[in-house]
Amino acid sequence: MASTEELLEAYTEWRARSNANPRLTKMLKGWDRVIHFTTTDTGQGYTMRVEGQQLSELAVGHEGQPDVVVTGTSEDFCDMYWGDLNPSEKYMSGEITLAGSQQDVMRIDAISMVAFLDI
Amino acid sequence: MTDASLASRATLRRALGLRTVVTTSTGLAFAALEYLAAAGLVAYVSGDSAYIPIVVAGVLALVAYGFFGELNGMFPTAAAIRLYMKRSMDDRAALVITFTYMTTIVLVIASDAFIVGSALAHAFGEPGWVASLWIVGLLAVAVVTNLRGISVAGLLQDVATSVVVLATLVIGVLALVHSGHGLHTPFQPLHGHSPGDLFEAVALGVFLYSAFEWVTTSAEEVRRPESINRGMLIAVGILCVVCSVATVAMSHTLTHNELTSAYPQLYLGIAAIGHSGLWVMAGVTAVTALNTFNGGFITASRFIYGTAREGSLPRQLAHLNDRAVPWVPVVTLGVVSAVVALLVALTHAWQVLVATGAALEAMIYGVAGFCALRLRRRQPDTTRPFRVRGLAVLGPIGVALFGLLAVTASVTVQTRFNPAPLIIILAVGALSAFYVLRVLPGIREREAARRAARPRRRPGR
Repeated sequence: MASTEELLEAYTEWRARSNANPRLTKMLKGWDRVIHFTTTDTGQGYTMRVEGQQLSELAVGHEGQPDVVVTGTSEDFCDMYWGDLNPSEKYMSGEITLAGSQQDVMRIDAISMVAFLDI
Repeated sequence: MTDASLASRATLRRALGLRTVVTTSTGLAFAALEYLAAAGLVAYVSGDSAYIPIVVAGVLALVAYGFFGELNGMFPTAAAIRLYMKRSMDDRAALVITFTYMTTIVLVIASDAFIVGSALAHAFGEPGWVASLWIVGLLAVAVVTNLRGISVAGLLQDVATSVVVLATLVIGVLALVHSGHGLHTPFQPLHGHSPGDLFEAVALGVFLYSAFEWVTTSAEEVRRPESINRGMLIAVGILCVVCSVATVAMSHTLTHNELTSAYPQLYLGIAAIGHSGLWVMAGVTAVTALNTFNGGFITASRFIYGTAREGSLPRQLAHLNDRAVPWVPVVTLGVVSAVVALLVALTHAWQVLVATGAALEAMIYGVAGFCALRLRRRQPDTTRPFRVRGLAVLGPIGVALFGLLAVTASVTVQTRFNPAPLIIILAVGALSAFYVLRVLPGIREREAARRAARPRRRPGR
């Protein structure tokens, strides 16, 4: 089980990589969204925003009206933010679940894939 | 899902409501191929009784609805087909069946391109070869719009499906009224036909409902998960009424040559309101493509992308363009569909396409029944928001019936024995099996080696 501190540290890495990636920045053009993450093991909520092609800091708790809701274990989220886990695999095995439009879901997966092209 | 995620989902900013679920389910089933299947069905039953196999097929579609409803409730995700199949059977068998089933999407896209192209060429009084230009042009537009990440918004989809359904219903009723005579044999489906013909008509009838279940891939987009099941149920009812009216009207008003043409719906329009009816139905036919191309391209390309990301297809199929669209699957789908559509235009073998689609759909309905049954044993404690009553009895009957319908449809084209659909399905199945058994293990080995060679980034792991 990953603690909130571990998760925030991992997300900081994910965010830095994503915001520094010119291809990803281009991909996020016009895609301003609110994403809620919910951990199934700790029951904690987090909120990520994408505004002006940049990922915001991860806020603890659910804030605002979400466009996408991602649910999984804290360990999976931590591994995903560090780029050690391919979220699509977890999604296709039902361990990560999503709610939101297919296009939005694709963009979130794109962030993981393009930020860590060797996943 | 946790309470927190359910509460969060309930507040989704953009979520689909029941109305859009109904129009999506109906619109996916109501492709242009619907008109050809309806006209083809008339060959198997006495005209005034043409609605009977459609109603019987509707009852069977309700059985399939039960199977998909239970499975969708257990796995409310776009990846549901992968999840329930690999938990019900060997993953290799699940992949072979899934890849074979994906052929249906190519068939529907290709046939819609062919039918819309042919109908427009006919409406504009252009020679037959111009239809090929329309086909290539329509698919090119579909590919480009998909690559640009443009999809049909929910409201536009609601309007498009409503226009298609209402126009077909009104034209069907007007054609019946203008035909000037009442129904002669409304309860005699076997009048001049054999029971085998009726069975084949039911197989084609099942095809009229096919793809209504594709809406389950929108399970993540709805505000209330139960909307998917309700929407499918309403869609089956709408399809039953509209297809029954259109089929009986066609049987009443069209000649044999008109029924066996690539655009019987245009003749139905003429029979209903004169020459302007041709333009109405040409327009309606073009609108059907909006739903088919939108739903077909998005469903298939995203599934291929997900399967490639999962490691079950080559990584190249997961490449994204700058609009986060998996461009390789989109372009491949467009090219393959164009080739199939042009082949059909050259050979005029659209009834083979109809029979192949009918067989594949019946097959997947049977597989869904098998999965629902198997998961009752393997995952008895999994929450089932929708539970089919009497599945222990209904399941085996449904599986057997859909299996029989699949076999019947795969060897019959236009009342004659023709194994072409079976050969097509077996060829696609063999290719899928070759890929899964021979090629995929190598892909997975290389992927595992690549990952093993990469150090973990997470500190302390």
